[in-house]
Amino acid sequence: MSIEVLLKEFAEVSEHPGRQIKAFKAEGKKVIGVLPYYAPEELVYAAGMVPMGIWGSNKKTIAMAKEYCATFYCTIAQLALEMLLDGTLDDLDGLITPTICDTLRPMSQNFRVAMEGKLPCIFLAHPQQRKPAFGLQFTMDQYQHVKSELEKISGNTITDEALRTAIKVYNRNRAARREFVKLAGQHPDAVSAVARSAVLRASYFMIKDDHTAKLEALNAELKALPPCDWKGKKIVTSGIICDNPKLLQIFDDNKIAIAADDVAHESRMIRVDAAETGDPMMALAQQFADQDYDVLLYDENSSQNRRADFVVKMVKDSGAQGLVLFMQQFCDPEEMEYPYFKKALDGAGIPHIKLGVDQQMRDFGQASTAIQAFADVL
Amino acid sequence: MSIYTLGIDIGSTASKCIMLADGKEIVAKSLIAVGAGTSGPQRAIAQVLEEAGKTREEMAYILATGYGRNSLDEFADSQMSELTCHGKGAAFLFPEVRTVIDIGGQDVKVMRVENGVMTNFQMNDKCAAGTGRFLDVMARVLEVKVEDLGALGAQSTKNVAISSTCTVFAESEVISQLSQDTDKRDIINGIHQSVANRVAGLAHRIGVQEQVVMTGGVAQNTGVVHALEEALGREIHTSPLTQYNGALGAALFAYQKYLKAQK
Repeated sequence: MSIEVLLKEFAEVSEHPGRQIKAFKAEGKKVIGVLPYYAPEELVYAAGMVPMGIWGSNKKTIAMAKEYCATFYCTIAQLALEMLLDGTLDDLDGLITPTICDTLRPMSQNFRVAMEGKLPCIFLAHPQQRKPAFGLQFTMDQYQHVKSELEKISGNTITDEALRTAIKVYNRNRAARREFVKLAGQHPDAVSAVARSAVLRASYFMIKDDHTAKLEALNAELKALPPCDWKGKKIVTSGIICDNPKLLQIFDDNKIAIAADDVAHESRMIRVDAAETGDPMMALAQQFADQDYDVLLYDENSSQNRRADFVVKMVKDSGAQGLVLFMQQFCDPEEMEYPYFKKALDGAGIPHIKLGVDQQMRDFGQASTAIQAFADVL
Repeated sequence: MSIYTLGIDIGSTASKCIMLADGKEIVAKSLIAVGAGTSGPQRAIAQVLEEAGKTREEMAYILATGYGRNSLDEFADSQMSELTCHGKGAAFLFPEVRTVIDIGGQDVKVMRVENGVMTNFQMNDKCAAGTGRFLDVMARVLEVKVEDLGALGAQSTKNVAISSTCTVFAESEVISQLSQDTDKRDIINGIHQSVANRVAGLAHRIGVQEQVVMTGGVAQNTGVVHALEEALGREIHTSPLTQYNGALGAALFAYQKYLKAQK
């Protein structure tokens, strides 16, 4: 299949997650909603169910969720609840609610109360100290809880063998996504910023085997392309999420390619694989322990500004000329990190802009002005 | 024979045009006090052409800028961001400029300019605080004309703090002050300081270097200019062409683009 056809297919899935859920249900599959961040989706897969990533929506407006939420909760969390309340996600069979940030922690209880008697909500608390033995044990215990709840919903026992298979499937998909991110950065003439986002976003709405197969085919096509002589600019994106096609279209209109990303919804989720041998539950706990360079994760060496240095290196290695930070409105971790982030970027001579975004934005006039001006100074 | 270029700045609250001859002489200018999405752009264009006695066909290059820059696709030859144009226009009027502060209808922008070229910038968040719109709202509740704010604020004898940066909350504060019979001139002075503090905070993010030039419609308000001078501790330069600065930059870029196309 041609690159254009494959990209169009990913875009279709990305734009219609509801259609995907309906199709899964029509096949008799059970579907589990998975909220951000770092939920072990492998357990859902191993239970024979389909995980659906829920990272808010670019098409909804907060109305019913206001009954439950403080105004300073990010739109990602609020719109997830909105979709649970307005019937969009009625076909779900369960929901995993991680609690890794100060919004998701109380939101997990909002989800539980709002969905009482309607949808099983599986509470997941990752430990702050994820690396020491006691942290690993804590993660294991939490994952054990998630596992047993998923077993109740599915009616299936999650065997070690099934979980190892799931880990292999997910590792392969992460590898394909990493490869795609690299190839998209090398071939912006073939993969626009809008298309790039759709490919990565679609992974949350597809059974991973299907996403991998399609993505490996796309990667093969991209690898076969001659080197791209890109006349535009290249940047690295950073932030929690930037999957709004209208916002990304501004990058394409101004010939700004995304060389690499430090976006939670995109590359932060696929940096670390799980071991395919040994105890699979420990492999998943260790995978979480090995996650790093994420503002949402505790870093005992945070005074060294390691995360910012990591991103600076990413910008340099990718050949990008600058960085665009999508600052999610009301995201405390990102807001509080910003001064350190800025210091490292300024110190390395990397120009950047910070764009305030939320998922209810419909007008991108101001962002368009800033992005166009940024292209002029790069 | 002279080469004529036209710069059109379609802002959120006004449409401005500048026609240049040979990229250096201002032949005509126009300003209509309504901006993007209105009849303003077309009227401003018609007016500038009429003033110069020229036609569209006589323009070697037309460049649009401002919030509504994409709405003139069929008329203009190309478009550019207003930040880049403001940097260019300010450098034309003040060759020594290093910092440009532009307060427009709905944006505040601070630009670093080096050798006439913008090298860095900061914009306000999605919020009307510190913008021309903020002053419009305050003028309305104070029942004064926005163009009179500068002169009235200069007559202030007492400090009245308007602490909220949010337009809505600041409006409530002003109403509260009015209900306490506070002198309008003191309230206006407080409003100017509130705008200046907000803008100074943005300016410090990229560092303020001499020479500082203020552009955009709000630069006509001497109260804001003086309050900002105080907040930054630096002299601020303005021009009678302040509101036309973006259009001027666009006309200058238009001339450059014309020359480039000739090569």
